[in-house]
Amino acid sequence: MSSESRSESSPTHGSGWNVAAACIQPLYNLFVAATEVVLTVDLPYVNQKQVKLSCPTDDCVEIYAETSRKITFRELGAKHRHGEFTCYHARIRIPVPVDENRVATKFKRGVLEVHIPRLK
Amino acid sequence: METAPIPKGAVLINGLPDVGLVGLLAASHIISSLKLQEVGAIESDLLPPMIVLHGGLPKAPVRIFASNSMIVVISETAIPVSLIRPLANGLVDWARSKGIKLMLSLGGMAVANRQDIDAPKVFAALSAKELESKLRGAAEVLEEGYIVGAYGLLLRRCAESSVPAITLLTQSYYNYPDPEAAAAALTAVNKILELNVDVSDLLKRGEEIRLRSKDMMHRTQEEMGRMNKSHEYDLPPLYG
Repeated sequence: MSSESRSESSPTHGSGWNVAAACIQPLYNLFVAATEVVLTVDLPYVNQKQVKLSCPTDDCVEIYAETSRKITFRELGAKHRHGEFTCYHARIRIPVPVDENRVATKFKRGVLEVHIPRLK
Repeated sequence: METAPIPKGAVLINGLPDVGLVGLLAASHIISSLKLQEVGAIESDLLPPMIVLHGGLPKAPVRIFASNSMIVVISETAIPVSLIRPLANGLVDWARSKGIKLMLSLGGMAVANRQDIDAPKVFAALSAKELESKLRGAAEVLEEGYIVGAYGLLLRRCAESSVPAITLLTQSYYNYPDPEAAAAALTAVNKILELNVDVSDLLKRGEEIRLRSKDMMHRTQEEMGRMNKSHEYDLPPLYG
């Protein structure tokens, strides 16, 4: 089994629900392999074409994805909380030097997978 | 703590939060599909000082549900590492006192290429060799390897206490809630226990389930990190 599963050391998330920005911080997983960095992000309620990926700095990947519809706290069972969400947002630090010009992505089963080659 | 009579000689299903929340999602689905009644709770000073509100009433986070022939234990909070050993020992002693005929624990087995798997495979670890026939081909037996966490300790304690136990581990994401894997686990449970629990709702409501259980998954991931869950992905020990 690949060691992608050994990701407990990935950075922790905050509360994950930013009402002011109508944004959800997704669950993600970062694995540093010998030749590449593999990042996966769990994005329920997202279509592939809504995913936007950028590298604002050379040690960081930013993911923004609009949800296919508005999601409210109420429908998630938290009736006492007000708030609705229309997007996911995550800014994820990459711990090793990578070539951000050669990013490859795949989107399947609502999970985004990003491969970024490491710089030698 | 028992709040209603608990049947003797039943099957006990454990749905504790673990890899991909497979067991918790599958067990919660059994409780709602078969309309099991709440019959008790597991109390411990090692649990976080919290309650869960359900229908406006305060509930313990680790609860026991039952019908005439089945008992299901679920936890709505991540089990702290310090509680795992006392919980496993206590649960097996309690199961013995209830004459449990089979303890079935449901968990996940993380695979790196989960996205490419259409039908997650189910593996089984057994407390005794002769339980293999009970699997009815629903799962492949694990012969070597590590199991970290409550399900590992439960299985060993069951073996020592002669309580028949099967731990079903279904291929899943490591730290994303995985309703598809929960459905595969339940399909195996259906075969083993000759039940007919419909799993289509788990698949239909997949996105909702994944988002609703995001925070639970995150807290579970923190506990899995503390218990060195990644040990499971090491090669089996050299000498058996």
